[in-house]
Amino acid sequence: MKYRITHKTNYDGHESVSIGHNQAWLELRQVHWQEVDSFSLVIDPEPSVRTRRIDSFRNPVHLFSFNEGYRQLTVTATSVVTVTDIPLPGAQFSVPWEQVASGVQTHANAADRAAAEFEFASPRIFWSPDKRRYALESFLPGRSMSDSLLDLTRRIHEEFVYDSRATTVNTPVDEVFRLRRGVCQDFAHLQIAMLRSLGIPARYVSGYLRTVPADGQRRLVGADATHAWLSVYGGNGVWLDVDPTNNTICSTDHITLAWGRDYSDVPPLTGVFIGGGQHRLVVNVDVLPLA
Amino acid sequence: MATGLSPSTRTERVFSCPPFVYDEVYGSDGAPRGHWAKFLTALRSVPAGEFSRRNEQADRMLRENGVSYHSVGKGGSTARPWRLDLLPMLITAADWAVIAEALAQRARLLNLVIADIYGSRSLIDDGTLPPEALYANPEFLRPFCDIGRLDQVPMFMYAVELARSAEGQWWVMADRSEAPAGPGFALENRIVSSRTMPSAFKQIPVERLAPFFARLQNSVRRRTPRPGDNPRIVLLSSGPGHPYYFEDVYLARYLGYTMVEGGDLAVRNDAVFLKTLSGLVPVDIVLARGAESGLDPLELGGYSAHGVPGLLNAMRSGNVAVTNTPGCGIVGAPVFMAFLPRLCQRLLGEPLKMPSISTWWCGEADSLAYVMDRLDQLVVKPAFQKSGGEEIIVSDLTVAEREKLVARLRANPYSWVAQEKIARSAVPVWSSVGIRCGHAAVRAFLVEDEGEWHLMPGGLIRVAPDTGPMQLSIAAGEGSKDLWVIADGKVDPVTLLNPQDQPIELRRTSALFPSRVADNLFWLGRSLDCCDFLARLIRALAERLADESNVDMVEVRFLARALSEFGQLEPGFVVGGLESQLPSLTEALPDAVYDAGEFGGLARVVNELTRLASLVRDWISPDTWHRINVTAEKFRASSEKEWRDITDVVSSANSLVGDIASVSGLVFDGMNRGPSWRFLDLGRSIERANSTARLLLSAEWKRGPASPALLKTIIEVLDVRMTYRFRYRENFHRNAVLDLTITDETNPRSLAFQLDRVVSHVDRLPGFEARPLRSEEMRIVMQAAHAVRMLTSEDLAASHPKAVSAALKIVDENMTQLSNVLTRKYLVHSGIPRQFTEFGGDSR
Repeated sequence: MKYRITHKTNYDGHESVSIGHNQAWLELRQVHWQEVDSFSLVIDPEPSVRTRRIDSFRNPVHLFSFNEGYRQLTVTATSVVTVTDIPLPGAQFSVPWEQVASGVQTHANAADRAAAEFEFASPRIFWSPDKRRYALESFLPGRSMSDSLLDLTRRIHEEFVYDSRATTVNTPVDEVFRLRRGVCQDFAHLQIAMLRSLGIPARYVSGYLRTVPADGQRRLVGADATHAWLSVYGGNGVWLDVDPTNNTICSTDHITLAWGRDYSDVPPLTGVFIGGGQHRLVVNVDVLPLA
Repeated sequence: MATGLSPSTRTERVFSCPPFVYDEVYGSDGAPRGHWAKFLTALRSVPAGEFSRRNEQADRMLRENGVSYHSVGKGGSTARPWRLDLLPMLITAADWAVIAEALAQRARLLNLVIADIYGSRSLIDDGTLPPEALYANPEFLRPFCDIGRLDQVPMFMYAVELARSAEGQWWVMADRSEAPAGPGFALENRIVSSRTMPSAFKQIPVERLAPFFARLQNSVRRRTPRPGDNPRIVLLSSGPGHPYYFEDVYLARYLGYTMVEGGDLAVRNDAVFLKTLSGLVPVDIVLARGAESGLDPLELGGYSAHGVPGLLNAMRSGNVAVTNTPGCGIVGAPVFMAFLPRLCQRLLGEPLKMPSISTWWCGEADSLAYVMDRLDQLVVKPAFQKSGGEEIIVSDLTVAEREKLVARLRANPYSWVAQEKIARSAVPVWSSVGIRCGHAAVRAFLVEDEGEWHLMPGGLIRVAPDTGPMQLSIAAGEGSKDLWVIADGKVDPVTLLNPQDQPIELRRTSALFPSRVADNLFWLGRSLDCCDFLARLIRALAERLADESNVDMVEVRFLARALSEFGQLEPGFVVGGLESQLPSLTEALPDAVYDAGEFGGLARVVNELTRLASLVRDWISPDTWHRINVTAEKFRASSEKEWRDITDVVSSANSLVGDIASVSGLVFDGMNRGPSWRFLDLGRSIERANSTARLLLSAEWKRGPASPALLKTIIEVLDVRMTYRFRYRENFHRNAVLDLTITDETNPRSLAFQLDRVVSHVDRLPGFEARPLRSEEMRIVMQAAHAVRMLTSEDLAASHPKAVSAALKIVDENMTQLSNVLTRKYLVHSGIPRQFTEFGGDSR
């Protein structure tokens, strides 16, 4: 599946911003099921300085700064990408889930030790006994990793209401759990918290969904903006992406932008600036299938 | 009363050491250890009273030098005086060399661990370190992964907490790898004790500290990204709220670095600059003293006083060196102590030379079981908190607290370590009741220079009254001591190195003058003059009230009104029948003066004066700082008296007037006429013009002749009594008073004189030399000066001096406006940074 993705962020300030430093996780990372054919990042006005680096999760990050003042800022990321269908990690995810958790907890092998990076609390994700209890209703003793995981994904999809007004970008996971409402970022955080509370590593994935559904299929939720889901560890270095917002295993409709422990590791655009007064941020995402 | 030592105790022990504790002074045979013998002889030669007196002198010196640390507790942080016990702890150079070798190995090891953590993480990959040490550790900050330079060690400065156990073995109690505090306190202790120790001790060959600091300077200099040039180095402080702010100021001055806060630095084009009055000046090296997690709000989030957005990327671009390299702090977490022997074998291929205090990481099932078995004999700590954090002494817990701890340990075992307790060695401690036994914690400091590690030949000793575990912060314990490393032979005198063979470039100004400092000096100048003016005003009123037999109501009414105008008295005293309120005014004045309450208060002005002075300590002379400190101390002492009446007010105001005059004298005589003096004096002149205009306005001139009593009061408060008498004797006329205080350009207290001064300062402000037309601030001050100059003698003599009032109003308004414009102009580019983030998913 080939896409052209346009991700446009428009910052509109009341007063001039005198100095600004920004970071953007807007370039698609390299993953083996995804081929990035082209990428461009157009920043208007032209920043005084811009650099690109690879962060510690191996995501590309763009940094740019302004020495001169501006009132409006438009950041446009355009990517052309080919996504291939990932074969399901059948065998690896058929083991009992406890086996995955104990491998990580006992540091069984180098892959498990590396996966432990996504096992613990992170800036926006904390465990709690009630979330663990919720997860344990799906993660029954001896049940396979895949059955347990898909059941939990289904329950979050069914028992939580998609409501973009119920939460903000800073709503804590516990609050989402209490409200039983939220958006994709909230559901991803919540499910990650539940899995980690069981000792299963899970990472936060920021990305896109195709905008126009394939013939005869329903339009997926969250397609006009960036999307978020999670990637779950199943042992031996194998990960599986699931999307609780749409109750699905991710495939060619999902385009991976970046991943980290939670949202705070990979915000699409973040910055520090002086001045500006009141401001407005408008984001437009368009995911156009090319072939 | 000090009993100390008398001739009859000549052969007796100076103190007694409890059992099962190493005695630093006496061997097992009861005889003094070799390196103590000479010291004890000297100690015995000094009369006890003399030693006591010297100790008090040392305390006084520390207090007067403003040596302090901040202790943060309920109700904010308060400055606590630093305490020093003149009796040092002694160690032989040979013993210290053994320690130096062991600690150098440890420093090398920790550097390798740091490099691996932020590099390949091979130690996690091969299982030498458990993944929890990083991944469950909130101090593992990933933006630090690619900022280090491969040709330099990340941690160049390092401190270690040491203790000596009963067997005489040295143990490492904690590692300090993130901007270690204490070397400045160690140096100040040495300086104070060498000035106060009786001469009997002078023959003892004590190793000097100065070479260590020369090493430190050299090492910092070598980290420049632009070798060859003379690097520009700044010391980045977390500001006056930080516990060790004193030390920041002290080290910056001693090492010759410009002290800055985060707001003073700016990143442009991936390079770091200092915001100065004359523009942005590039910075090569940042000696960071605050928490590394606050260094760059862009990548690390949050705001702290020393944060500089974009700093980390400037490091990556190779344009600036920050030392210690951010990220070093992590190895100071106690979890690493549990793995050091293993890490040492793996990375250096040799055993660890000095053991760490036995540490068990509860994340391993075996260790947890072991810890649970003997919990009551252990100290429990959060595994990832850098040393100096929470410490739980299990044997001190109640049953309920212990259960709670056990539950916390079982819930997240990997977040905890347990450590053995050590009975620290015993040293003699001087106290007002003679010599007692104390238990020593040693903080040792190391610096890397040209591939070698150098241990400071000395250190910081803290003492606790018992052998129990002691908090490891440098403020812990009952007081501090100097550590003397006793050399084998003679010690060469060395002071801070300065290449003597080549002349340095001559300068007229220091190039680095941060805008923030200009602003603070400006307000210090204002505050100085405000203090002086209010003290005079209050003195005038208090003197009149104190003399109950002869109260002139015109004068009192005027003064009370002026004081309420300046926010020093409640307006209630001004309206209505003041006569009936006299007794209550007499009673209320002391409270209004001494209580730094919500309502102005001279006490508040004095506090503000010391606060501002402390912000610019680096920029005013030590004598000026000292004088301001003493002034405030004196004022505070009289305000704390139980009984305060109107006569106390008179005497406080009197001495305040004198003290401020001597501060002003120091500033005027001693301060270089550079930008710092200009801003200070500008503040002072603006304040004086402003308060003079306001005082004259509050006289509310009415039609007809003014009362001589009122005129007399005015010339008294404005301090022109002498001149007036010389010219006019006791002949009080309004026009003469107005001339002297407003239009007479020869009188330094007149408005015309002050405004001229402001004009000449504003004219010389940097950055406006080449501009056509007048700057905004120049127009403001010239308008005021013009209004005053245009007054005619008829205006002054008019029976209703409306023109004078109009001119005074212009001065009043324009001075306020000028102050705002200057503040905006010189401080605006260090505005408060803000953050924005695009949400991660879905439109909201």
